[in-house]
Amino acid sequence: MIMIEELHQKLVNKEISDRDLVESYFDIIEKKDSQIKAFLTLNKNEALAQATIVDRKIQQGEEIGLLTGIPFAAKDNMITEGIRTTAGSKILENYIGSYDAFVIQQLKKEGAILLGKTNLDEFAMGSSTENSAFFPTRNPYDLERVPGGSSGGSAAAVASGMVPFALGSDTGGSIRQPASFCGTVGFKPTYGAVSRLGLIAMASSLDVIGPLAQSVEDAEIVFKYIKGKDKMDSTSFDLPSTEKKDRPIKDLRIGIPEEYFGEGVDKEVKEKIKEVIEKIEKAGAKIEKINLANNSFALPCYYIIMPAEVSTNLARYDGIRYAPLSVKEGQVFNTLHDLYFKTRGLGFGREVRRRLVLGTYILSKGYYEAYYKKAQRVRRLLTQEWKAAFQKVDFIITPTTPTPAFKLGEKTNNPLSMYLSDIFTVGANIVGNPAINLKAGETKNKLPIGLQILGAHFSDYSLLSFAKKVERLISL
Amino acid sequence: MDFKGIDHLLELVHLELNEEEKGKISKDLAQILKYVSQLSKVDTKGVEPMNGGTFLENVMREDKLGKKEDKHNQLKKAAPSRQGDYFKTPPIV
Repeated sequence: MIMIEELHQKLVNKEISDRDLVESYFDIIEKKDSQIKAFLTLNKNEALAQATIVDRKIQQGEEIGLLTGIPFAAKDNMITEGIRTTAGSKILENYIGSYDAFVIQQLKKEGAILLGKTNLDEFAMGSSTENSAFFPTRNPYDLERVPGGSSGGSAAAVASGMVPFALGSDTGGSIRQPASFCGTVGFKPTYGAVSRLGLIAMASSLDVIGPLAQSVEDAEIVFKYIKGKDKMDSTSFDLPSTEKKDRPIKDLRIGIPEEYFGEGVDKEVKEKIKEVIEKIEKAGAKIEKINLANNSFALPCYYIIMPAEVSTNLARYDGIRYAPLSVKEGQVFNTLHDLYFKTRGLGFGREVRRRLVLGTYILSKGYYEAYYKKAQRVRRLLTQEWKAAFQKVDFIITPTTPTPAFKLGEKTNNPLSMYLSDIFTVGANIVGNPAINLKAGETKNKLPIGLQILGAHFSDYSLLSFAKKVERLISL
Repeated sequence: MDFKGIDHLLELVHLELNEEEKGKISKDLAQILKYVSQLSKVDTKGVEPMNGGTFLENVMREDKLGKKEDKHNQLKKAAPSRQGDYFKTPPIV
């Protein structure tokens, strides 16, 4: 697969014009996307116009940045000015963004070229992209299987070579789990390292934007351009520059939590991850077994905190400022009450409705202490437990998901079994740590197996630097 | 878990569902609540609740008027019913 640096060199050396480059990617999209269905909206005219501007700059001998002229895709829960932004929901099917999300602003400033918006589970709620109100996306490795979710469109687009990189968002694993299923790199930064301005909110204390790419190096390049403090997001910050970035493997202590290799984890997944851990040990790292005793409570904790935040965040879709097209076709309501109830009933899909009701229940009088407050206390315990673990080890390695990609329809009738596919990823959201998925290898049936590396808060650069080394060891 | 209160909850959520879906959602919720109730096994005595966040530093800004951006034309376009610069709604009662 071609890397960003390589494409940049080709542009600078005038081996290819940016217009041809952008067109070649649209050709791939045209060829593959009728089957994979990664995109909800394409931005072809504007993309080609921008490429022409880049070509002019190159012709005039202007110096261009690494991302100038490089095509990318963004998950459709990131607002794009003048381009439809649906969040995978009927209630926003007619919504055209009135400004660019912070991450889009940053990439546009660099001259990166948005090819289109990718499919997702409605409002990023799901682990398979089957909850999209429009259509499911398919896994490029096996069209009968899901690409994971909720950033399934972004993962499938990168994995099938339709874009060099894509942006995703991760609330409980929504970058790493689809990256694992599609065999790409997927990086979830420390909570707050990337501004959430213009990211359609799901659960605000958990949501993080990050890159999906073919290599750790590409993910790192993209991360450098999208990170940083933004005055419009008070939880955002600049990563401290004092951090030790590039330590040799032999100086590192790697923690392996046994809880992540127990019952329910696919045998091939277990074996492949252990194989990589052995390689890392041979390269000189010290491997230590660690214990995260309360970690099994991360998922139930998540399924209290997340729906609670969802039910408040989605109150804004009242049918007055946004509504599904089916309402636009001349529906008349007798009262405001009637409008709210009917529009939301028509506009939200089944999983969103389920989480709205669950979140409202959890926050209601008499249950708030027992559920929400309890989950917040468990959240602090988990945070303390992880902090203690990262005093003993530099990084933690686990499988990203218990199994490889499952089949379409396999889990749609049982929400709880769908939720369990995020069991290894949610911890990093509850605690806020950075985490990355790498392709560790493939099963006998040629499905990708994902390896997750977790780092301490604010260790994003060291984590990326270590991940590059692991990526090299895997390829040997 | 008692879900006779589903109608009351739907009233709070502002959501209209048919009877079949009400039944299904009650069943799903009972299953999910049973799953999350395992948190009661965790001893959290004396632990303060945590809202989230990583870089916990107060954010201040000057009390100054920002640049005015004219976005209202774009914003109102998604509204199903409007009159001039106003959103139009049915009567409140």
